[in-house]
Amino acid sequence: MARSFFVAVILAVGMTAAAQPVSIQLDGNIFKVVGQPAGTLTVYAGTGDVPPLAGRTVIENGTLVFRPTYPLAPGVRYRAVFTPRSGAAIEKTFDSPSRRVTPAARVERVYPSADVLPSNQLRLYIYFSAAMSRGEAERRIHVLDADGKTLRGMFLPGQELWDPNNQRLTMTFDPGRIKRDLTSNRAMGPPIAEGRRYTLVIDREWRDANGAAMVDAFRKTFRGGPAVRQPPDPTTWKISAPAAGTRDPLVVSFGRSMNYTLLQRMLRVAGARGDVNGIIAVTREESEWRFTPQQPWAAGGHRLIVDNSLEDLAGNKIGQPFDIDVFDKVTERITTTSSAIPFEIR
Amino acid sequence: MDYRKIGVLALAVAVLIVYAVRRPATVTADGDLASVNGGLKSAGALAFGPDGVLFVGDSIGGAITAIDTGDRTPVASAAQVNIQRIDEKLAALVGVMPGDILINDVAVNPISKNVYVSAARGRGPDAAPLVVRVDGSGKLTLLPLDAVKHETVSLADAPDANPSGRQNPRTQTITDMAYVNGNLMIAGMSNEEWSSALRSIPYPFKTASKGTQLQIWHASHGRYETQSPVRTFVPYTIDGQQYVLAAYTCTPLVKIPVSDLKAGAQVKGVTISDLGSGNQPLDMVPYKKDGHEFILIANSSFGVVKLHADNLGQYKPIDSPTVVDVAGAPYDKITAVTNVRHLTQFDNSRALVLTSAGGGGFGPATGPFSLQTVALP
Repeated sequence: MARSFFVAVILAVGMTAAAQPVSIQLDGNIFKVVGQPAGTLTVYAGTGDVPPLAGRTVIENGTLVFRPTYPLAPGVRYRAVFTPRSGAAIEKTFDSPSRRVTPAARVERVYPSADVLPSNQLRLYIYFSAAMSRGEAERRIHVLDADGKTLRGMFLPGQELWDPNNQRLTMTFDPGRIKRDLTSNRAMGPPIAEGRRYTLVIDREWRDANGAAMVDAFRKTFRGGPAVRQPPDPTTWKISAPAAGTRDPLVVSFGRSMNYTLLQRMLRVAGARGDVNGIIAVTREESEWRFTPQQPWAAGGHRLIVDNSLEDLAGNKIGQPFDIDVFDKVTERITTTSSAIPFEIR
Repeated sequence: MDYRKIGVLALAVAVLIVYAVRRPATVTADGDLASVNGGLKSAGALAFGPDGVLFVGDSIGGAITAIDTGDRTPVASAAQVNIQRIDEKLAALVGVMPGDILINDVAVNPISKNVYVSAARGRGPDAAPLVVRVDGSGKLTLLPLDAVKHETVSLADAPDANPSGRQNPRTQTITDMAYVNGNLMIAGMSNEEWSSALRSIPYPFKTASKGTQLQIWHASHGRYETQSPVRTFVPYTIDGQQYVLAAYTCTPLVKIPVSDLKAGAQVKGVTISDLGSGNQPLDMVPYKKDGHEFILIANSSFGVVKLHADNLGQYKPIDSPTVVDVAGAPYDKITAVTNVRHLTQFDNSRALVLTSAGGGGFGPATGPFSLQTVALP
């Protein structure tokens, strides 16, 4: 005890008597060499045969500093090595704070919302409550059969189709199995078989953008229904026009479930004075579109304008089935980009 | 003591110190990420154009950036590439854990044979795009876009009405690109609608030109036609005519004459092979060996195959239901190369592969990853 105290005193006296000792410090995002500006400062963020951390070394106010190109990341051990012009190199390691691991994200919604999906269902849209990690969909999303067995080859492998916020993921059922007469379709059949029961499972272990697992796993059971081959036909849609002077919603019933994401932007309402502004709601398992105007309805003629790229659940567009049977003369391609359905507000 | 000599000596020492101090830095940027990234929001598909120009597909930004790499020194005979744990090296370079590096594509500069890797630093929406050059000695260098000449062309349509002010959720993911006869061709998939956009943009880019957008269709046995997104494609010459060989997302491999790719055209590819079921071609490398033509194809679940391509000119459109099936071009499975995630041409006798210990295809992106040249079989 007394001896170590004595050594400490000697060291302290020595340090105050000599020049300031050389040390490496981490100040926010910047590595600094205190007490000796001449030399090289190299920072490593990995072990083994790895390149040094990208960044810029400069002398600022007589201090040698290293500014990394990218912000320091959680959970990384940084090793800073200062090599003076003469003398031995010194090094120091710094551990950045570990990742936040409190679960916060969950699956909020999955579209289609119906419990029965056509056997030629084309896409799923998964909405998360928080930004998620890319590169995990392949191992975190499963479809189980009625016996709980994981089914392979359900989805198109490859690039994950996210929105820019990483909160909505688009999954595509393997189109090679959906499109009639292709090798995959003949060998494996469509991903969903009519009459069978399935469970969509999304693992809780899927990490959000901060690296934390989700709050809960997600499960949705559904049954395979008949394939939908006929393209949606706006002339068969039922339009319930509200009364003039009210802000009651215009209600459009499609008679089948439609693609939820496309219903957000492929239908609009025009009156005598141009487009009507309002709020869109999609209800009844995406078979109904409700439009509430910002201003009360004006009496007179209006039009519902439909982008002909609007799809139903099976990827059938207005006037154009997903896989057109060219020998079936009943279906003809529509070449216009939009359709207009007139209705009257009284 | 001669003070002039001391002055010169002091200056030399100062220069040496400054040089020594700056030496570890691999980029000249100063922490300003927006500046380092040059407006790039993501770095995905890569393709080389003329004179060392590297095209970088930015799916999140809805744009293509053409980078003048300045990398124009030819090599007569490039050494073998064998870089183990490339993901760990990239992670160390940009200061993250290896699991936070997502490698998106690799390309080889046909002039210098240097390898270029596109990746993301991070897996969330704020992930930084990376474009990194890997030279013959295995040295990694970040390409800071603020310090290199580059130009960008936007692919985005006019922004949707967006009253809530939130970011437009609609994106077009660029699945592949290739430079063909003065045009950059771009295949992509929408995260909303089922579309089959194949775009052709003249290069050098012209102001406000988004190029020509084509509808690509696929027929199965002449009967069922589908708009079909192209996942991967490669320029190819058959009997003196320029084609693209394209793999649809619905699996068949087709040939499309470039002369058919005109504005407003509805283009239908002619099937030359179908490596289904449940399989997707990832990348293709056409080559010649011993007087025969082949296409090396890396697949999502079939591994690597070598397609015999001597007779591709003979394949005709199937427009009759009486034709029962497509025999397809014959192919051999190449078992010597496994776990391939990306495949690209290196030179006339070698391909470059990115392999993953976690498996090939589109399986979980788990490392370590390796970059290697392999002899064309």
